[in-house]
Amino acid sequence: MHRSECSLVASGAVESALVSTVTASQAPSLSGWRTYLRNLWRWREFGWFLAMGNLTARNASTSLGLFWWVLNPLIMAAVYFLVFGVIFEGRRGDADFVAWLLAGVFVFNYTATAMTSGANSILANSRLLVNIRFPRLVLPISAIIETGIGFCLSMVVYYVIVWPANGILPGVTIIWLPFAIGLHTLFNLGLAGWTARLAIPFRDINNLIPHLNRLWLYLSPIIWPLSFLEDHAAWIEQLARLNPMFGILSFYRLALMGRELDVFAFVIALGWTLLIGGGGIISFVRHEGNMVRHL
Amino acid sequence: MSPAAVSVRGVGVTYRAYLERNSTLRRVLARRRLRQAIAVVALDNVSFEVRRGETLGLVGDNGAGKSTLLRVIARTMRPDTGSVEIRGKTSTLLQLGAGFNKELSGRRNVYLSGLAHGLRRAEIDRLLDSIVSYAELGEAIDRPLKSYSSGMVSRLAFSISIHLLPDILLLDEVLAVGDAGFRKKSREAMRDMLGRGGTVIVASHILGMMAETCDRVLWLETGRIRDLGPADTVIEAYTAAVPSRAG
Repeated sequence: MHRSECSLVASGAVESALVSTVTASQAPSLSGWRTYLRNLWRWREFGWFLAMGNLTARNASTSLGLFWWVLNPLIMAAVYFLVFGVIFEGRRGDADFVAWLLAGVFVFNYTATAMTSGANSILANSRLLVNIRFPRLVLPISAIIETGIGFCLSMVVYYVIVWPANGILPGVTIIWLPFAIGLHTLFNLGLAGWTARLAIPFRDINNLIPHLNRLWLYLSPIIWPLSFLEDHAAWIEQLARLNPMFGILSFYRLALMGRELDVFAFVIALGWTLLIGGGGIISFVRHEGNMVRHL
Repeated sequence: MSPAAVSVRGVGVTYRAYLERNSTLRRVLARRRLRQAIAVVALDNVSFEVRRGETLGLVGDNGAGKSTLLRVIARTMRPDTGSVEIRGKTSTLLQLGAGFNKELSGRRNVYLSGLAHGLRRAEIDRLLDSIVSYAELGEAIDRPLKSYSSGMVSRLAFSISIHLLPDILLLDEVLAVGDAGFRKKSREAMRDMLGRGGTVIVASHILGMMAETCDRVLWLETGRIRDLGPADTVIEAYTAAVPSRAG
């Protein structure tokens, strides 16, 4: 049957007529990495389609659908505004508190969601992993695409709120936004790689992530202004700036609000991105051959 | 003789089992406990070859290592020892509807599954009509998958696997689903595949079907090869070992 299609499929067939070997130890060599990247590129359509499929599915199952990506952090920001902006008067003379807070919450939410969805990307697709051979990194990448699209949407909504509230509109510095998103996305992908890789043998991670995220949120300049640090010793301020979120947020606030870039914190964030971003990806790929046995 | 389609050489897989199901951080932090983990040998030094155009059946009790062996051959799992060499492209049906998203339409699931197998979107465009008609889904292809019966899902999954035109097809207990008509059709598809020199490896508990479709049968017992030979002989020996296995 289907003789006619035979040639069509064979033209782009999966590993057609190739000898493929799997042995016990597969330490990824340099040529191994090149093959891996080539395979990753080959499965790019799958990663994109999986992300789009999940977005569509989410749209179909909830009435507000995609809008929840924006609504969730928005509600979170509203709560923080009430508690820290109004009750504790956290704005401390910062006239643009809404713009400050909203940028922080949107940016942080992207990272927080990336960590959770990274861990879930493997666990939710366990049947796929058991059945089909493909570069596993496609799954966290797909999760990041899905989250990233929601984040880009929230960047538009940002000005819809910030303009009437603080009179802030995109300025020249907005040209930095794509770079900020690029750097941030690489950082998030690495984090997702770590959580995905660790969540498979240690399911406990899934319970730990929300708490780590909350702690990280409070340690980052999101709900408190930078002037808050001035009340503390200088070494505390230096310590706080080692937080990768510090530099990432500073970069975003340069792009979105025209604030001055904290160069020291930014360089630190670059370092973290290489370390966590690169390290997470490498660690994930090195362990992907063993994932199925934990599922 | 042409080289074997599948060569399995000295493959061993050991799972680390704990008293509770999953490993926890606590256990890893307490290194001493980790060493007390029980090693469960799923496969122990398994070696065999499958020729092109051959159908190999896998029999054995639950936990004998059939599924693990199929995963290693599908190369979704790395063995602890030994190696597996595959000549040709494989298509696997180890679990039904792998990679399907229940919220999406059958059509989008065809794309999802095809792309996961490494096809290009344009290739799936060309195959789509044929996949749908072979699965006998008709208009239902545009309904969300959650509205499908399990038979419809398995027909769709099988249709996709067949249309990937694999050289090696790996099946795990999946042909038991579907109505009599579809079972007949899937058997024909397998025969067709064998006709063009394809190889099938199938694990099943339905011994009657195995005796009928397989050339040779491999009997696994606690991760070791107990017997490998002509289908009739091995299945006879297997049922003789424990009479309740018959049927």
